Amino acid sequence: MTTAIDIRGVTKVYNPDSNQAFKALDNVSVTIADNEFFTLLGPSGCGKTTLLRLIAGFEQVTGGEIMLFDDEIENLEPNERPVNTVFQHYALFPHMTVAENVAFGLERLRKPRPEIEATVERVLTLVKMKELGDRRPGQLSGGQQQRVALARALAPSPKVLLLDEPLSALDLKLRQAMREELKQLQKETGITFVFVTHDQEEALAMSDRIAVMSNGEVQQIGGPTDIYEHPVNRFVADFIGDTNFLDGEIVSLNDDLVTCRIGTESMFDAENSGGHKVGDRVTLFLRPEKITLSAPNDANGEDSRPGKVANIVYLGNQAAYTVDMGDGVELTAQARPREDGNLPFTIDDPLAVRFSTRALRVLAQ
Amino acid sequence: MSSWLPKSAAGRRWLGLAPSYFVIGIFMLVPMIIMGVFSFLEPNPYGGVKPVGSLDAYVKLFFEYDLEDNLVFNPGYLNIILRSFQLSFGATLLCLIFGFPVAYYITLQPENRRNFYIYLITIPFWTNLLIRTFAWIIILGRGGVIETPLLAAGIIEDSLRMMYTDGAIAIGLTYSYLPLMVLPIYASLEKLDFRLLEAASDLYANRLEVMTKVVIPLCKPGIIAGCILVFIPCLGAFIAPNLLGGGKKLMLGSLVQFQFASARNWPFGAALSMLLLSAVVVTLIFYARAAKKRAILEGHA
Repeated sequence: MTTAIDIRGVTKVYNPDSNQAFKALDNVSVTIADNEFFTLLGPSGCGKTTLLRLIAGFEQVTGGEIMLFDDEIENLEPNERPVNTVFQHYALFPHMTVAENVAFGLERLRKPRPEIEATVERVLTLVKMKELGDRRPGQLSGGQQQRVALARALAPSPKVLLLDEPLSALDLKLRQAMREELKQLQKETGITFVFVTHDQEEALAMSDRIAVMSNGEVQQIGGPTDIYEHPVNRFVADFIGDTNFLDGEIVSLNDDLVTCRIGTESMFDAENSGGHKVGDRVTLFLRPEKITLSAPNDANGEDSRPGKVANIVYLGNQAAYTVDMGDGVELTAQARPREDGNLPFTIDDPLAVRFSTRALRVLAQ
Repeated sequence: MSSWLPKSAAGRRWLGLAPSYFVIGIFMLVPMIIMGVFSFLEPNPYGGVKPVGSLDAYVKLFFEYDLEDNLVFNPGYLNIILRSFQLSFGATLLCLIFGFPVAYYITLQPENRRNFYIYLITIPFWTNLLIRTFAWIIILGRGGVIETPLLAAGIIEDSLRMMYTDGAIAIGLTYSYLPLMVLPIYASLEKLDFRLLEAASDLYANRLEVMTKVVIPLCKPGIIAGCILVFIPCLGAFIAPNLLGGGKKLMLGSLVQFQFASARNWPFGAALSMLLLSAVVVTLIFYARAAKKRAILEGHA
């Protein structure tokens, strides 16, 4: 597999010589394969946009290097790098028509006129904006501007397309539709996409691989299921999806299972991921959707635990239940409304709570 | 609400604006009407006008009476008008060449420092234009700041004769009106979304193309406003042409001043003023039309 972008030990410090020095990236190494939909995911201020701007050439690295298809690009100006950016707020040129915006990059590359016209038409068709080529950006809706920004960045056929939270300014419905389209577009064009977002759902839905970042460091790199099911630390588990965290101490272990004491006397078994010993302080994590709630008399397995409904948050297609397990332990679980629309349990209802030991995992502290 | 206020919204709006109508009327419309009327009267040899209607002032713009009392075409004044336009155009161009980079530089500064620089730009207005123009005589003149060291160093052997030339007038005009170019350009650059510059360079535009394809088109309103603000007072200027042009290289403004102060031909001075005024109005109409067209095109009319 060809490597599109190789980021090697990149550090970025803003205002290095002043007392306001700020380390935005700390020794970050990421390898992005050609033809990949790669997402940089993290909360605001984690350095993901800085990394994107370093690739685009708007900022200079403080240390480390960035290779683009095995070429050193550090000393190249943004206009000399074969990458294009879709900006967060689109940054369309307001004094040009849609078609002129899309043609801008091609004109700067001194392409012949007929080729420019053909390409503009092709990419505008690709983003379903062909009829609006004569409009000005000011006359377009947010979603349409988004498409133009995409077409403009795709028109010069960049080796890598950088997308800086391009969907964040759109409303929910449009955002979801654009997710599909972006993914589709990436497949059709075969261009490597580097997508920056703080929206974990977006990242999971579109990416081939995700790099989760926090505080200027990469926490974990992996496919969506890897990241979701096997987070390497508490930050990743917490940032991606809803999670129950149980802090406790290992009291015994065998090859398959570790047994932890949570609270004062509650014992929970979890998969043994190796490297643990009795007496370790650990955090167990358990996704809410892995927990099954039922009425106590319906439970016929010996592995169910008693609980009580402490709180309910109604979400429409489901409800999030906070379950009091006794001994100061609380778990968040989900249940679907019944067919008549009523919720299956109400506050203070006794519950039988079941989950597999395989769903409980030990996280590194 | 008090009973003396007009009932209708339009009436109240008129009342609210009345002070400004009053000021504009007294200080702009009335003097202009007086000038307009004067231009159609006969001159009084000791200054002022005789209340006798006459078109002589306008005739004099283009024609003169020869020895046999025949009307013949006289390009003298027309040439002065042409020179005025040329010099004003040159000064405007110079203001643009120096003013744009200054405005751009200020825009790139951190916000607190920008206000300080703008403040510096306005400082020359604190001193009388006459005094500031005199300073240029010391700089450009014989034995002045520029010549003396060059003569002493032996780089030049004779005076450069910079004073009393068109160049000296253009420099004087440029100096006088440069702030009027910088301020509107700064105002439009300040509103510029600098992310557009990144977008342009991301799309393979080099530094020059970023400037010509994005920055300049987007701050065109500021550039045009600056050009108008410089061009119009240049046309009517008389201090710089009189002091730096030695009163021999006349411009429209100095000609008007001459008619009122020395030649005592008020109607002719008034006619020249009317001509100047119409030139300005025509320029502004063109600008307003262009601005309106652009606003419609960009979809925020």
